[in-house]
Amino acid sequence: MLNQKKLIVSHAPFWHDGSSITVRSYHTMLAALPAALFGIFTYGMPALGVVSLSISFAIIWELLINKVTQRTVSIGDGNAALIGLLFAMLLPATSPWWMVATGTFVAVVIGKHIYGGIGGNPFNPVLIGVAILMVAWKDYFDFNEALVNYDLRFAMVYPLAAAKHLGTSGIEAFSTAGLLLGQHSGGIGATFGLGLILGGIYLIIRGFIRWEISVSFLAGVFVTALLFHMSDPSLYAGPVFHLLTGYTLIGAFFLATEDSSSPVNFIPMLIYGAGAGVMTVLIRNIGTYVDGVVFAILLMNLINPICDKIRPKALGKVV
Amino acid sequence: MTPKRELQIAYSLIIVFLFVGFISYAAFPAKTPDEPIRLMYKTVAGKVLFDHKIHLSDSGYGLACQDCHHHPEEPEELEEALVACGECHKVLEEGKTFPDSCLDCHEAEDLEDSEVMKKSDAFHSQCESCHQEVDAGPEEERCSWCHVM
Ligand code: HEC
Ligand code: HEC
Ligand code: HEC
Ligand code: HEC
Ligand code: HEC
Repeated sequence: MLNQKKLIVSHAPFWHDGSSITVRSYHTMLAALPAALFGIFTYGMPALGVVSLSISFAIIWELLINKVTQRTVSIGDGNAALIGLLFAMLLPATSPWWMVATGTFVAVVIGKHIYGGIGGNPFNPVLIGVAILMVAWKDYFDFNEALVNYDLRFAMVYPLAAAKHLGTSGIEAFSTAGLLLGQHSGGIGATFGLGLILGGIYLIIRGFIRWEISVSFLAGVFVTALLFHMSDPSLYAGPVFHLLTGYTLIGAFFLATEDSSSPVNFIPMLIYGAGAGVMTVLIRNIGTYVDGVVFAILLMNLINPICDKIRPKALGKVV
Repeated sequence: MTPKRELQIAYSLIIVFLFVGFISYAAFPAKTPDEPIRLMYKTVAGKVLFDHKIHLSDSGYGLACQDCHHHPEEPEELEEALVACGECHKVLEEGKTFPDSCLDCHEAEDLEDSEVMKKSDAFHSQCESCHQEVDAGPEEERCSWCHVM
């Protein structure tokens, strides 16, 4: 009994199973691709310009900050490119180039490298970039105004703005199937519901993101929106509408799940996800902003360290 | 993948996307259509989104151009009337009774006692009176149907 082996660690060489940050970054980009491509087809060359510029600028900023701070060049891990892609997916297709440049700078440098680079950031870098732009240049983020010259096959009014200002009567033009198929205006890569859901499922199956966060986020949105809707059906849109509009889906699968700013244990993940979902609908329905996803997730990023204090008790531990 | 290969990929991403991005921005600058689709007015009372296309298209409210583009009533060419309201309805400089744009078609002495309301009054008056007539759409008491934040 005494010399029973408990744990065996062999000596090197070890076998690397091939998973790395690089693989993870590029697979996440792959998962986001259907939604991003859909946006590019919908909004045309301007959208392609925003996406392309955003990806290249994000990598360039990371390269520059690597050089300036004299650290090893980290652009090979693909994380900067991923930040660039996700950032562009949240923007209106008409974003001017200087806004893309500043936004990616804020995301990569202030959102990530100030904290020491990947893994050190307390907030989601993409959302830091978007949040600062939303505050600084509000009008460019007003999708009704930004997309005023677009005439596509569907009602072009921004669904969340219509719901906020006109109540349920303003959103009759939007059907669930239409929303899933991207028949509504919004961020370049944020409108194709089906594509985002498929991308999210892929990431969950591959283990790149935690389903607990995505599912609890969506549940938080659903339940809160349902309660509002039941309290006054003419004023507040229904839960499915909230799930499929604005940044909800891209938030659930690509933003809230960013790993260094989200918790790792089961209960904390549920609290974090559900909290962000509830906040999202609260901001949408009673806050001043039309969409709440950005600030809701950032807020939960803020309390993420406290969430992670809730740990499972070690088995058999008293006290 | 070796770190060297990864770096190569990142550098090529920079080059390719910078190029594509640059071309897209340079070759396809944002342009406003000749005939507006939707118009966004920014006012002190909140933004107003006016859906020009829905108002005039047959699948929308099917209005005639001249219901709104009202002056001159019988233009030789329709285009003459299809100008921005603000060309004629504007706050006048000191000592003038009509804007210079009238002189394209009228002699100054013909216009001595004419009165043209300022732009926001013109909008309120025209938009609201029509909505009242057809008893649909936003009107006086429903400021917030037009003016949203
Ligand atoms: C419901 C009222 C309404 C109807 C009907 C309407 N318009 Fe307009 N139109 C406007 C308003 C308001 C503007 C904006 C003027 C401004 O901003 O000063 C405008 C602007 C325009 C302009 C741009 C003018 C400029 O120089 O900026 C064109 C061109 C135009 N309309 C064409 C048409 C045509 C063609 C039709 C008929 C098929 C039509 N409109 C019907 C209200 C209307
Ligand atoms: C070419 C110049 C011109 C343009 C463009 C123009 N108006 Fe006028 N508008 C006038 C003149 C002149 C009058 C006063 C004489 C009259 O009643 O025809 C007037 C009068 C009005 C009145 C008062 C009518 C009444 O019966 O009391 C309204 C309302 C109005 N305009 C709205 C508009 C709107 C809205 C637009 C843009 C869609 C517009 N106007 C474009 C010249 C113009
Ligand atoms: C595009 C040319 C054009 C412009 C610009 C124009 N008008 Fe006229 N206006 C006409 C014509 C044509 C008539 C003849 C009657 C009609 O067709 O409405 C007319 C008629 C009038 C009348 C006679 C009223 C009536 O209904 O018989 C007045 C007053 C007038 N215009 C004032 C103005 C003023 C003020 C402006 C500048 C704000 C102006 N117009 C700009 C073309 C124009
Ligand atoms: C000649 C008639 C007419 C004029 C002028 C007019 N409208 Fe309308 N408007 C309508 C009709 C008809 C509707 C349809 C209402 C409905 O069916 O609910 C409508 C509906 C609207 C609505 C609510 C429905 C929507 O589009 O979402 C808005 C907002 C609106 N109009 C804004 C304006 C503004 C701003 C102006 C002035 C620039 C204007 N309208 C001038 C006839 C008019
Ligand atoms: C049919 C739509 C409509 C309705 C209803 C409406 N407005 Fe407006 N309002 C407009 C438009 C369009 C403008 C922009 C005019 C401009 O560009 O100068 C405007 C401009 C204004 C302005 C700015 C005026 C200025 O001189 O800059 C004020 C203030 C305003 N509206 C107040 C109100 C109030 C108060 C109500 C309710 C009693 C109201 N509006 C109802 C369409 C509307």
